[in-house]
Amino acid sequence: MADGFHARRRGGAVATFSGFEADLLRSLASQIIELLRNEAAVPAVDVDPFEAMLDFTGPTTEPDDPVLARLFPSAYREDEEAAGEFRRFTETDLRNGKAGNAAAVIDALEEAGLPGELAEEGLVIDVELDGEQSVVWMKSITDMRLALASRLEIEEGDEEFWDSLPDDDARAHVHDIYDWLAYLQETLVRAVSR
Amino acid sequence: MPVELEETAEEDLTAVDRPWQTVVWNDPVNLMSYVTFVFQQYFGFTKKKAEKKMLEVHHDGRSTVASGSREEMERDVQAMHEYGLWATLERADG
Repeated sequence: MADGFHARRRGGAVATFSGFEADLLRSLASQIIELLRNEAAVPAVDVDPFEAMLDFTGPTTEPDDPVLARLFPSAYREDEEAAGEFRRFTETDLRNGKAGNAAAVIDALEEAGLPGELAEEGLVIDVELDGEQSVVWMKSITDMRLALASRLEIEEGDEEFWDSLPDDDARAHVHDIYDWLAYLQETLVRAVSR
Repeated sequence: MPVELEETAEEDLTAVDRPWQTVVWNDPVNLMSYVTFVFQQYFGFTKKKAEKKMLEVHHDGRSTVASGSREEMERDVQAMHEYGLWATLERADG
């Protein structure tokens, strides 16, 4: 088990990951990208650029998927029309930003030595992030945690419930990953905090 | 005539300048340290002010973190959503 992120002397943060941990992070980041591209609320990225420019319509209604609904919450609580307008003008950018952050996490892992297919046992990689990359990672780890929390239906003060789950309950494993991401996030924030 | 014109101008000004505010809501996921970090990084709050606002979110369920024009507040809300914080905007007098 890695011990999370540490501050670098020249700013930013560094962490040592086992191959298994790095592969897990890559898989979570890929799932975020998949999820963001999946629901056809966004105009496709690969359409003709001319057509794309003429298509001003982003989505105006809240996504059906609870994970997407949490990643893109309504900006107005009591004004559906204003919320729809806000969504139309922001959600595509927000989606692209979040997908870009997740892709940057994958790039950093692979640049640090994570192979395309994890085969080697005992692989250990050091991931070094500058200040800017650290914030990108924080945002993406947050998206992963929000996604897992929505799937698990995490609520305030429900720690006892998760602790009481038997080991063979699949949710217990997912919750372990959720906790591990919290630990990573905490050490990363601490490493770069002023 | 001039009086009427003045009145109209004043009304318009009030409607346009009515301040809006950005509210961040509590959620069971985001870490206190991260919320504090975001407030410092994005709004440029001191650590002390960022922690005070974060604790408001944590204890009261919400905190007003910025106020200004509607456009500015929409920008702030979008930025908060980029960070994964749950934020909305509303009229300051609402």
